[in-house]
Amino acid sequence: MAPAIIETNGLTRSYGDICALKPLDLQVPEGEWLSVMGHSGSGKSTFMNLVGGLDRPTAGSLKVGGEDLLMLSEDGLARFRREFVGIIFQQHHLVPYLTAVENVMLAQYFHSVPDEAEARSALERVGLGHRLKNRPGELSGGEQQRVCIARAIINSPKLLLGDEPTGNLDHKSTVMVMELLKELRAEERFTVIMVTHNQEVATWGDRTIYLDDGVLVREERMRS
Amino acid sequence: MVAVKLIPLLFSWFGIVLVLLRGFSGRRVPVAATGVVGFALGVVGAFALLRSYPGELSFGIVRGVVAGVFLLLWGTAVAALYRNTMREFHVFQGEKLVNASFYAVIFTCTTSIIAGAVCTCRLPVTGGTILALLLLVLAAGILVLAALAAEKMLPASLTVSQPALMAAVVALLLFSASSLIRLDLFSPLSMKVMKFAHDFVHQFFESMLIPDHLFIRTYLWGYIGLLFGNGVGFWGGMIIWFTPVVLILLSIRFELLPSVAHIRQGAKRRKLLAAAIRERRIRLVIPLLALLVFAAAAYRSSYPSVEYWDPTPVPVLASPAGEIVIPKQGEINLEDGKLHKYLYKQGGKEARFFVLLNPSGEFTVDLDACAICKPDGYGQAEGTVICYYCKTLIPLETVGKPGGCNPVPVPFTVKADGVHIDALTMINTWGNTVQATARIKEGGK
Ligand SMILES: Nc1ncnc2c1ncn2[C@@H]1O[C@H](COP(=O)(O)OP(=O)(O)OP(=O)(O)O)[C@@H](O)[C@H]1O
Ligand SMILES: [Mg+2]
Repeated sequence: MAPAIIETNGLTRSYGDICALKPLDLQVPEGEWLSVMGHSGSGKSTFMNLVGGLDRPTAGSLKVGGEDLLMLSEDGLARFRREFVGIIFQQHHLVPYLTAVENVMLAQYFHSVPDEAEARSALERVGLGHRLKNRPGELSGGEQQRVCIARAIINSPKLLLGDEPTGNLDHKSTVMVMELLKELRAEERFTVIMVTHNQEVATWGDRTIYLDDGVLVREERMRS
Repeated sequence: MVAVKLIPLLFSWFGIVLVLLRGFSGRRVPVAATGVVGFALGVVGAFALLRSYPGELSFGIVRGVVAGVFLLLWGTAVAALYRNTMREFHVFQGEKLVNASFYAVIFTCTTSIIAGAVCTCRLPVTGGTILALLLLVLAAGILVLAALAAEKMLPASLTVSQPALMAAVVALLLFSASSLIRLDLFSPLSMKVMKFAHDFVHQFFESMLIPDHLFIRTYLWGYIGLLFGNGVGFWGGMIIWFTPVVLILLSIRFELLPSVAHIRQGAKRRKLLAAAIRERRIRLVIPLLALLVFAAAAYRSSYPSVEYWDPTPVPVLASPAGEIVIPKQGEINLEDGKLHKYLYKQGGKEARFFVLLNPSGEFTVDLDACAICKPDGYGQAEGTVICYYCKTLIPLETVGKPGGCNPVPVPFTVKADGVHIDALTMINTWGNTVQATARIKEGGK
């Protein structure tokens, strides 16, 4: 089996009295596609934010890509997010007054330097070669989500996190987005962690874990 | 008192050691040791020089060395710009030399000798005792130790390229020198530029233009007048002064980024580029600081902190026989070695002059003006008189000799009661030399 890219031991996150994530031990091998399911408020987003370096745990240990996220300074964590992680949310969080290609270039800018040619080819890869100069408001939900994918993979992350990226999409768009992610993963070989409410979306992954009230209650391996 | 005057110089010395340590990082100990030894050598050398040749010669030599260093900076700047903008010119021939240990030692040694010499020149000529010299070297040594400690605290990313090192060192040396009017370079430089512009325009007129021609309108004279103004010297001097560092800044700005075309992954390629751009930006820091120091030196040279002895002219009258008599003793002690100014008026004309007992014990009477400049007069400081207009320094020994920017001498006789000057001669000398030049200067027509 491939070495673990994510390793948690007693990973915990509590907000005062509320324990959003109870001590969690989990290993995710490199290249795996892990689906995370659970009802609303079960701690899925909390787990994602910890793994993506957007939040810090209150207890336990968390290693991602060989780096101990608890040991990293704020700057170190920012660098980790910039260079290691790509994130797609349910809401697209695109800058409304920038065009699709500019939105992708913004991600390049925060990472290093912008490169328009590269941003264009990334959008072409997600099938948006004809909508480069459109602003997010002029794109459909599925197209917006594909811009987000282009933006998330532009800096070649090792880890791609999705927090219900298809939550707002109809069946057809959902399938399109998932197919696209599958293709990209085959080329780029990043690890995927995908939070979803949708049992069908979960079947695209290699493995599904179920959270309930911050506890990992069940684990299911998909047939490949 | 002397110690206070030395503070800016020692401060520059600290800065010099700091950039040397960073510029030759990896050779900290040899650089620090060479720095102390070089400084001491400079102090001893300048002391010996000042003792054996008191007066202008010694200062002239030190100033010449500083000027030479400034010229070297020009060369370095031009070479750096050339190297970084020529795409085919990949290999810098001097690279090996620059990386050699002995280069670091020689560079440091030369710099330190000059720094030590400039500091020694700041000591009072007669008061430069052995003890003062020892204290000076001791202070310099302590500052080297301080710089060794301070250099470790500088961010590791702050790198200094060779041209930047040169720029910083020369800037600090010039800043040191600018605190002494006899070592200062900027004022004489702007003066040279002004004289050059002056001569040029003069020749231009003589060879090509007829000043009274109908086609030469008054506004044209206005523009030509600009060339005679103080501004030309100042701005021309500024250009010569700042250009080398600006060239070095440009050369860094134009440095080619490393080729990243062979890297397939976009993110990696961009990361390398971003790092190279960041590094290049950091390399601008030191030359930018050097630019500031250059500005500070020019400012200090234009507004020296030196205090001039500048008495207000005392009005005098002529005797019925047409003689001005300045008594040796009385309200003013003529024989104190200081400049004493007088103002004589006769029928709407006036002449300003001064009487001075020079160091060899002889009186001299001169107009408070020279034959070249606007009659702004002279002040006295540090064994010289200075022309307020063109900032030329005239050693006291040569006051009374005609020519150049020297005060125009006036015939006189010394008698027991005082110095006697013929009033008519005085008025005529002023009228013939000063007014004539002033007329040409103020616009030609
Ligand atoms: N900043 C916060 N302050 C206090 N409590 C919080 C905070 N963020 C989350 N929580 C709580 O932590 C628990 C888990 O939240 P989380 O967002 O991880 O749930 P989720 O599984 O992502 O739910 P959903 O499916 O609705 O997105 C919830 O009870 C929530 O109220
Ligand atoms: Mg959530």
